[in-house]
Amino acid sequence: MFEKSLTDLIQGLRANKRNEAEYIQKSLEEIQSEVQQSDMHCKSTAIDKLNYLHMLGYDTNWANFNAVEVMASPRFGEKRKGYLAAAQSFHQETDVLMLATNLIRKDLASSNAMEVSVALDGLAQVATPELATDLFDDVAAVLGHSRPFIRKRALVCLYRLVLKHPEGLHALAPQLRERLDDPDPSVVSSAVSVICELARTNPHNYLPLAPRLYQLMNSSTNNWMLIKIVKLFASLTPIEPRLAKKLHGPLSQLICSTSAMSLLYECIHTAVVGDIIGVPLPVTDNVGREIDFAELCARKLVFFYESADHNLRYVGLVTLGELQARRPELVVNQYETVLKCLDDPDLSIRMRALSVISGMATRRTLDRTVKRLMSQLILSNTIRLQPVASLPSVGSIEYGGKYNGSAADSDLMAMATDATGASLVSARGSIVQSRQLTGAGPGPADSPEYRLLVVEAIVDMCTRQSYGNLSNFEWYVAVLVDLVYTAGVDVGQLLSEKILDVTVRVRQVREFSVRLMRQMLSDRQLVGRATSGSSTAKVLCTAAYILGEYCSLLSANSEDIALLLPECFEKLDGEQQATFIQAAIKVYTNWLRDVAGYWSTEVWELVRAVTSSIISQLSDLLSARTGEGNALGGIVAVAELPLQVTSRLRHFVEITKAVSVATSNPSDNAPQLCLELHELFTAYELNPVSAAAQGKVPIPDGLDLDSPIGGPIPDTEHIMFPPPPPVSPESRPRGSQSGGGRKQRRSHKNEPFYLDGGNDAGHARSLAELPDVDDIPVVQLDLGGHGSEDAAKTRKKKKKSTKHGATKRERRNRVRTPSPPPAPVDIAGDEDMPDVSAPQPQPHSTPPAQH
Amino acid sequence: MIKSVLIFNQLGKPRLIKFYEQIGTTLQQEILREIHALVAKRPDTQCNFLEGCRSMGTDSRIIYRHYATLYFVFVVDSSESELGILDLIQVFVEALDRMFENVCELDLIFHFDEIHYILMEVVEAGMVIETNLTEISRAVNEGKQLIKPATDHSRLGIGALRGFV
Repeated sequence: MFEKSLTDLIQGLRANKRNEAEYIQKSLEEIQSEVQQSDMHCKSTAIDKLNYLHMLGYDTNWANFNAVEVMASPRFGEKRKGYLAAAQSFHQETDVLMLATNLIRKDLASSNAMEVSVALDGLAQVATPELATDLFDDVAAVLGHSRPFIRKRALVCLYRLVLKHPEGLHALAPQLRERLDDPDPSVVSSAVSVICELARTNPHNYLPLAPRLYQLMNSSTNNWMLIKIVKLFASLTPIEPRLAKKLHGPLSQLICSTSAMSLLYECIHTAVVGDIIGVPLPVTDNVGREIDFAELCARKLVFFYESADHNLRYVGLVTLGELQARRPELVVNQYETVLKCLDDPDLSIRMRALSVISGMATRRTLDRTVKRLMSQLILSNTIRLQPVASLPSVGSIEYGGKYNGSAADSDLMAMATDATGASLVSARGSIVQSRQLTGAGPGPADSPEYRLLVVEAIVDMCTRQSYGNLSNFEWYVAVLVDLVYTAGVDVGQLLSEKILDVTVRVRQVREFSVRLMRQMLSDRQLVGRATSGSSTAKVLCTAAYILGEYCSLLSANSEDIALLLPECFEKLDGEQQATFIQAAIKVYTNWLRDVAGYWSTEVWELVRAVTSSIISQLSDLLSARTGEGNALGGIVAVAELPLQVTSRLRHFVEITKAVSVATSNPSDNAPQLCLELHELFTAYELNPVSAAAQGKVPIPDGLDLDSPIGGPIPDTEHIMFPPPPPVSPESRPRGSQSGGGRKQRRSHKNEPFYLDGGNDAGHARSLAELPDVDDIPVVQLDLGGHGSEDAAKTRKKKKKSTKHGATKRERRNRVRTPSPPPAPVDIAGDEDMPDVSAPQPQPHSTPPAQH
Repeated sequence: MIKSVLIFNQLGKPRLIKFYEQIGTTLQQEILREIHALVAKRPDTQCNFLEGCRSMGTDSRIIYRHYATLYFVFVVDSSESELGILDLIQVFVEALDRMFENVCELDLIFHFDEIHYILMEVVEAGMVIETNLTEISRAVNEGKQLIKPATDHSRLGIGALRGFV
C-alpha cells in the first residue's frame, strides 16, 4: 500500500481548491489509520502531514500520542518531525508529555549534536512545570557541551524552564555570568538575550553584570548583541544613576562611529530614555568639535524623522517624542517638520507625530495645530459629517462671522466659498458627496482610533496647564462645539466635561458659551439624534445644564423652555431627563422675572398662555411616566427611573400651578411671585468644588453614621402587600387585591409624595394639596466652625489669584438643606477639573452639585 | 522576545505559522486573519511597524516585510528593537534564499517543514540565537546531511528536480 507523502497532500490540496474541506476530511481519515501503523516511516509521514494541516487551522491534538511515538524514532529525520509536531500543537494540558520525560532526557544526552539541538528546541517550546523540574539538571549539564550551537540553545532552553520552574533561577544565574565569557560570540549573544529578558521583571538582580556588559559593549562588533545591551542599559540606568556617567563615553562613540542605522537608533533612544543626555559632559563629534550630548542626539535624530524611509521616520518620531518629554527646548524648532508628518498617509507615523505635536503646543502654535487637526477631521473620506440645519446660525452669523480666528470655522468658511459659495451646510454636504463620488477609500483620518486621538490631543493641548496655552477662550468653546459635530467618534463625555469646565471656570466666556449651547439645543437634527447613552445626549445634557444655570446672561426667551422639553425627551436616561427639567425650571422662572419688568396686559396673556402650555406638556410627561395603563413604560421603568425625574416634574408642576393661580386675574403690576421665583435658584452662586473638599469636613461629635435613621426598614413584601386595614380585616384578604392596585403600589413605592398608609386614600391626594414650595423650610447651617480651615485657606489662596472673578467663600460655607425630595442632579460626576487660576495641577474638583 | 513568526501570502494563506507561546489552533487562525487584514492593506510606501495586535495583548508590535507575494511578519514585545527585527527578517529571508536559490512562494509551500528547521536555527523559543548567515546555513546543512539517506527514495519533489540538496 502506498501512502500519500507530504508533497502528495500539498499537490492534492492545490488540485482540489473547490472542495478543499472534503479533500482534507478524506486525508485526515487516511492519516488516522496511518498513524496507527507500526511502520515508523509511515507514521512519521502522517505526523508531518498533520503538521501541515495544523498550519491550515485543523486541530491535531488527537494525534499527540503518535507525535510522542515519532519523537522516539531512532532516525533523526523522523525524530525531528515528531518534535516539530509537539512544538506546534502541544499545550500545557497535553498529558502525553508525561511519557516524554525520559525520551527527552535520552535525546539531551545523545552523542549526536543535532539530536540534542532538536530536543532543546522542542523542550523550550513545550515545557510544563513538571518537565521543567525533572529536566532542569539535564539541560544544565548540556551547557558545557563542546559545540557552541548546543550551548546557546541550552541557555535559551534553561530560560524557558526557569519560567515554569522559578527555583531554577539560582542555578541559572551563575551559569549566565560564565557564558558571558564564552569564546563563541553567538553564545555570548544568547546569554545577553536571556539576561535582557530576565532583567525586564527584576532589573536589580542584574546590576552586578553591568561591568561585564559594559566591556562587551566596548569590544563587540555583533550589532544584534550591541542593540540588546544598549536596550538593557536603558532599563538599568534609572535604578543605578552612576551608570549614566559611565555610558556617556561609549554611547557617544557608538553614535558617532556606527554605520548601522538600527544600532545608531537604539543608542540615541537609550541616551534619551536613560537620561544619559543629562550627563554634563561634552562630546567630540566627527569633525572634532565639542558639542553637548543632547544636542548631538537631537541632530542625529533629524536624519531619522526627515528621512525618505518610512521606517526611519517612524522610529525617529518615537524617540523625538521621548526627547520632547525630557528636553522640550531641543525639539521646539522642529515644529514645522512634525507638522508635515501629521499629514503623512501612514497612520503609524501620523499617530506618532500627533503625540509629539501635542506636546509641543504653545500659545503661538496652538492655533495652527488645532486648525490642521480640525481640517483632518472634516476632510474625511468615509465618516459622514453631520450636515446640520442650524449650524449656519452657529457658524456664519455669530460664531463664524464674529470669530474668524476660529481655526475650525475659518476652514469651514473657506470650504463654503470653495464649493458653491452657498451656505455652510450645503458646502459640507457637497464635500461629503464629492468625496463619496470619487470613491476614495478610507484614508488615515477615517480610522476611529485616530479620530479619537485627534480629539483628545486637541482638548489636551487647549486645557494643559490650566488653559495655559489659550489666549482666546471663545475660540476654544467654538472648537469644542465644532468637535461635537465633526468628531464622528464617541467623545461626548469628554467634550461635555470640557465645555462645562471652561464655562464654569472662565467667567468671561460664559455668555458666549451659553449662546452656543442654546444654538446646539435648537438644532433639531442634532437633538433628534440624541438617545440615551449616545455621545450627543451627553453633550446636550451639559448644554441644557449650562443654559439653565446661566440663562440670565442672555435675554430671556420663552422659546428656550420648549428647547429644554424636546421631543426626544423620552429617549434620554433618567439623569439626563432630570437635568433637562431642572434647566427648564430655571429658564422659565428667569423668563418670568424678566417679563415682570415690563408687565402689561399682553404680557399677562403671554404668561398665561406659556404657563398653561407648560402645564399640559408636563402633565403629559407625568402621566406617561406614572400611568399604570402605559404598557411600554412598564413597572420596571417606573421603578428604576422616576425618582429624580418625577420629583422634578412635580416641582415644575407646582411652580407653574402657583404662577397660574397668582396670574388668574389680570393686574397692572406683576405678581410678586413672578419676580421672586428665580431667586430660588440664583441666591447662591455655584463654584467648582474640589473633589477632596468632602474629605476635609470632619464628622461632628456625636454623629453616628452607622446607626440607621428611624426604625428598621420594612421588608419589600410588607410594602407591596401592606397589612389589611384594621377596620375589616377579613373583608379584604390579600389575594383579592387587584393586580392593578399592586402595580400601582409598586410604582408609587419610590415616590416621595406617596405615603403608604395602608389604604388607597393616599393616591387620591391631589398634587395641589401638597405643601407649596415656598412653605418648605429652609435651614441655614453654619459649617464655618467645623474646622475646614485647611480647605478654606487653600480656597482663599485660590481666590486671591483668581483671574476670572472672585469667589464668595462665606456663601460656600452655607448650605441650604435640600427641599424634599432629596434628589441631587449630579451633572458631571467625577470630573477632573484643575483650577483655572492655579499654576500647578490642583486636586480633583467637581462642578457644583445642584439642588 | 519574539512572540510569533508568520509567513502568509497576499490572500492570507499561511505558509508558516510559529507561535512561541502556546496558543490554541482557533486563536492562531484568528491572529493570522487579523494581522493579514492589518498588513495587506498597507502600501509598500508605508512604514513596516504596527502598534498593537488585538489578539496578542497590549505589549505587542507587528513588524513585517513584504517580498513579492509573501509577507514575513514578526510579532514582538517592547524589548525588541524595531529596526533590529527588520534586519533579522532580512537575514531569515537571505537564509531561505541560500537554501532554495531564488526562493519563491512554491518553495515555501512544498518545503514548509524545512522552513521551520531554518527558522529554528535563527530563533529558539522566541529568543534570537543566531544572526550570522554562515552559521545558520552550516547548522541547517548539518541537519540535512543526517536525513539524506532517509529521503533517498524514488519520489521527486520540486526541490529534488532542481537538485537543491
